[in-house]
Amino acid sequence: MSTLPRPSTILLAAITTLVAVLLYSPLFVPIVSSFFTVSHGDVDWSSPTLSTYRALAGNTDILAALRTTLIVGVCTVVLSVVSGTLLALYYHGRRAGRSFLQFIIFLPFLMPPIISGLALLIFFREIGLERSLLTVVIGHTVFVLAIVYRTVLMRLQSMSRTLVEASYDLGATGWQTFWRIILPNLSSAMVGGAILAFALSFDETMITILVTGTQSTLPVRLWAMMRLGFSPDINALVALILMFTVLLCVLAARFLIPRQMATERN
Amino acid sequence: MSGTSSTLPGERRLSLLVTVLAFSLPIIFVLVPLAIFLVYSFFSVDQGTIVHVPTLGNYIRFFTDPIFLPVFWNTIVLCVSVAAICILLAYPAAYFLTTLKGRWRYALLMLLLVPLLMSYVIKIYAIRSILGLNGFLNKALVALGILDHPSTLFVFNMNAILLTLSLLLIPFAILPIFLSLERIPQTLLRASDDLGASGLQTFLRITLPLSLPGVASAASFVFVLAIGDFLTPQMVGGVSGFTFGRILYSQFGTAYNWPFGAALSVALAIVVIAAILVGERFGRSRGTTV
Repeated sequence: MSTLPRPSTILLAAITTLVAVLLYSPLFVPIVSSFFTVSHGDVDWSSPTLSTYRALAGNTDILAALRTTLIVGVCTVVLSVVSGTLLALYYHGRRAGRSFLQFIIFLPFLMPPIISGLALLIFFREIGLERSLLTVVIGHTVFVLAIVYRTVLMRLQSMSRTLVEASYDLGATGWQTFWRIILPNLSSAMVGGAILAFALSFDETMITILVTGTQSTLPVRLWAMMRLGFSPDINALVALILMFTVLLCVLAARFLIPRQMATERN
Repeated sequence: MSGTSSTLPGERRLSLLVTVLAFSLPIIFVLVPLAIFLVYSFFSVDQGTIVHVPTLGNYIRFFTDPIFLPVFWNTIVLCVSVAAICILLAYPAAYFLTTLKGRWRYALLMLLLVPLLMSYVIKIYAIRSILGLNGFLNKALVALGILDHPSTLFVFNMNAILLTLSLLLIPFAILPIFLSLERIPQTLLRASDDLGASGLQTFLRITLPLSLPGVASAASFVFVLAIGDFLTPQMVGGVSGFTFGRILYSQFGTAYNWPFGAALSVALAIVVIAAILVGERFGRSRGTTV
């Protein structure tokens, strides 16, 4: 792309900068307000403070919501990684009905969350399952399953068949081949999928609002608080969560990207 | 390794279990709920209880009531506009990324995707405070002399929904466009250059046509995400910014008419499926192999 003349490069760089500013401005607001006092839209730059972080430690309500979110996230990860991997292993061979079932798995991810959420809401009511954290976990698992499934399936497809054949040739049983050859090769894809699933579950709001019972996760709690306006300690929480998720995604990228780029080149 | 001697029956039992799970999980937790949902759209509500007798009443109401069709149409127009804004901003940015070399390219791509990690609710809240009367946007416009005094034009109306959704969804447009631009073989660009085309000609005749599949996927992504969102309109739309998602959501809250809400969801699903199919149809890259 070296054919571009310089003025157009400058224009492109300017637009990219604008996009970056637009994208980061909503992140900037809570992070700045977590360290400085803001009144009537004016930031008091003179007195940085950590009081919001101290206030956060005493906000039991929001910390309970955070704990709920983490519990839901962990349950979702376990359920979605186990079932996503099973499904990927099952559909990897050419089997009847695969494209249809695969389509069903992808539906909740493609459909607007309001539709998946409402469908589950009515489903839970029909089967008489009270709305609780269990229904939230089911909702999240159904939502993130497609991602885990796809991640693991892609790794399976890029795995050399000769590995499995060699294992059988050397006299290993199917069970041994699975534990010693297939699973270790899939593990980094499973970890990557797990991190993505956790990140999606952590911020899932729309399905959760519809299927949650009395205990709410953090995004739903924030949503409820937003009508009244946030207390400053929420900014501290959000800044911390952002740092944490960036860290998590750098980790996910480490597990997922190198292998995939290597396979794309072949 | 344990259990090597008893693998055969164990394996058979396991494979049976896996088969049952592989079919039952998606069917029970996805297909059955969606099917029940569809059936519900043919029910009705009488004094707060759902009447399980099939009727087309909900669909007739949707098409004949003067409220719903205009809101439906306005929401589609709104979301098409969101997709257009996102692409107009994302395309140059994605193009700029592909002009960078090696590590910088991916580092900057990551940088533009990081905002996706921020809590969705908090972003809406932050954008609302930026757009508000005391917000940064008004301050900047007044300081630049474009406005005499702060305006309420940007919050609690349709404009606010348009701006907020665009801001939230730009990263979803950058990624597919970037991937389609990156896939264009460099040899084509060099050939065009060798044959004496100017930079602009190469862009218009080679790069742009070959990146259109990415643009189509980006548009379909953004449109689907925008039209399904009921949080943003609820939060920044005020009284006048009424979207289809909000009406749908209210059927399950204040209006309490689940069957009608289910019928509205069917209408939404049809639009979404159409958008996904269009994106899929034009999103496939053809003839980029050399």
